Amino acid sequence: MNEPALALRGVSKSFDKPVITNLDLTIEPGQLYALLGPNGAGKTTTLRMVVGLSEPDRGRIGIYGIDTRRDPLAAKAITAWLPDEPMLYDKLSPSEYLGFVAGLWKIPPEEAAPEAERLLRWLELWDVRDTRCEGFSRGMKQKVALAGALIHKPRLLILDEPLTGLDATMARSVKDALRAQVDAGATVIVTTHILEVAERLADRIGIIAGGTLHAEGTLDELRAMAGEENATLEDTFIRLTSPA
Amino acid sequence: MMTRIIERLPAGSLGWLVAHELRLATRGGKATTRVRIVRYILLAAFLIAGILTAVALANVPIRPDATFDAGLLVAAIAATSLMTTQAMIGTQQTLYERGDLDLLFSSPVAPRTILRAKLLAIAATVMLTFGALSLPFVLPIAIVGHPRLLGFVATLIGLALIAACIGLALALAIAKAAGPRAARTVGQIAAGLLGGGFFILSQAIGRHSNESGFEAVFRWVQASGWADSWWGLLPGRASFGDPLAILILLGGGILLFALTGAAFQRLFQSGFHDAGKHMTRRTVSKKGIGRQFRASLFTSIFMKEWRLLIRDPALAFRIVLRLVYLIPLTIVLTKNNDVPIAPGAAFFSVLVTGQLVGSFTWLAISAEDSPDLLTVAPVEKSTVEWVKLASALAMAAPLALILPIVIATETVAGALVTLVMTAIAGTLAGFIELKLSKPASRKTFARRRSGSLAAGILTMLVTFVFGGIAGVLVFVLL
Repeated sequence: MNEPALALRGVSKSFDKPVITNLDLTIEPGQLYALLGPNGAGKTTTLRMVVGLSEPDRGRIGIYGIDTRRDPLAAKAITAWLPDEPMLYDKLSPSEYLGFVAGLWKIPPEEAAPEAERLLRWLELWDVRDTRCEGFSRGMKQKVALAGALIHKPRLLILDEPLTGLDATMARSVKDALRAQVDAGATVIVTTHILEVAERLADRIGIIAGGTLHAEGTLDELRAMAGEENATLEDTFIRLTSPA
Repeated sequence: MMTRIIERLPAGSLGWLVAHELRLATRGGKATTRVRIVRYILLAAFLIAGILTAVALANVPIRPDATFDAGLLVAAIAATSLMTTQAMIGTQQTLYERGDLDLLFSSPVAPRTILRAKLLAIAATVMLTFGALSLPFVLPIAIVGHPRLLGFVATLIGLALIAACIGLALALAIAKAAGPRAARTVGQIAAGLLGGGFFILSQAIGRHSNESGFEAVFRWVQASGWADSWWGLLPGRASFGDPLAILILLGGGILLFALTGAAFQRLFQSGFHDAGKHMTRRTVSKKGIGRQFRASLFTSIFMKEWRLLIRDPALAFRIVLRLVYLIPLTIVLTKNNDVPIAPGAAFFSVLVTGQLVGSFTWLAISAEDSPDLLTVAPVEKSTVEWVKLASALAMAAPLALILPIVIATETVAGALVTLVMTAIAGTLAGFIELKLSKPASRKTFARRRSGSLAAGILTMLVTFVFGGIAGVLVFVLL
């Protein structure tokens, strides 16, 4: 039996007030899953717990069957995290950054170097591979960070607002990159405020509000839940997240 | 309080903008209750010390004389060089960290008003820094029995204004001369040089005598006759309430402020525009990409830390400057006591290497630019930290070898002892940083001790103890 790419069971997290409450979420492998929700709904908190940047107060998180609390390193080895603010070093060039990330993920140099070249060419960063990132635009930095996230060929790729601040061309290339990952067998989870992206790109959509999963399914299933067959995702989202 | 002042001033006026700047400057980061209590205790102790000094001096006649004038002139020169450095750094922060300049320049407020508001804010910050150190003593002394010393406040304002104008002019001139690409680095190095300039000069002047650097400069100023010139007398006379001296110093400061506002408006605007350009040299190496990929975690982390250090010349310069400041400790220990060079060199080697490893460890661990990347990587946090400590030791190692080689010409055993003590002190200094320091940005390197005072004190203690042991052992082995 296939293990889910991500399984959250009864996950709760509080800061000064409860942010996530008893969250159950299952994401099957090989999907592009969009996690939507109003501001402060707990999307980023959920994902930060998944990648190990924060500990849940209660509950279990499994990545491809690996319990993130029991074996965090094994879970991290197959996961990549791309936040909205790229985790970069301004004084390093893209090739040096990829070298560093490959070192952290212990990818043998003979595997990492050709993969880095492929990613840099694919993301149109090859000509600036030895230029320091400090002068790059936000979109270019986001692409370098994406290359860093992909260098170790993660089975689960998690992106928080990956299209924020990108122009149309950059946004298209990032969307293509995500779809290519899914086509290659990986699972991709994105949070986004741009509902059109989720509508066009996502295989399944989860809507979080007030720290719990309000609705989950394909776009058609969500429309059915909202009771409007031909509604846009925006209408569906507003209907499902508005207080009754 | 500042918000009420802002509400009463005409919006967009110079006063309104200055009040806005001061409101921002006085809203520091959140401090924990413990930190706040320690601050209040220190402040109370400082105020009590000032009041006790004032009571003790209440009936002691304090009059300006030749010695006082020379002393105050030296103090004024030292303070002005430090104030100018602070003003240069303030200008650079205004330009390069941008803050609200984008908003201000896009508003219908005259650029000259913006520049003057920023300049006044820089002067106020400089004045507050030096005022906080001196006024708790000077004001009680003035109030209790020496009212003429209230002139010191005017001196402080005058010097702060002059220093702010010189600092701004220097920072803008350097930015113009160095060009947009190198402006920031050259400016930071120049500020560091100016800040350390008085200190280095005093050491150079005093290197052949048994006096401290300050004493040597004092004698030098006395011998030069500067303290008897009309301008040399100004700080002393103004501090003792001479109305003409106050008028010249304070009026000069205000005049310079007005002239700077008018003369540097264009340069300030062009500096602001240049600061927005992120100019990076576009390079493509002919060597293959494979050279960037290493098999070991240590090499990957070491290379990253090394590159981040050498690609930040201003930071590297600050580290070197910190080490230069340690020279007098060794001079004091060797100059007055007929101690041979080798023990002093052993002490200095351990002291410097320990501090260096502490600095490198702080940069690698506390000032990590992407802590989240390391957290999500499949490597234990403790492993990363130990590898970073090892990287810091490796980066300091070449410098740690220099003095033991010199010592080896007198005693090989002493050189080995120095190396062992250096290794122990360096490892301990790194370990202290590892355990006690808090996350911070690389650009706060100069103020890193504010993150963890305990780490700073312990590192200094450890390097002193092991440096002392090394010095004594080398002395015995000679």
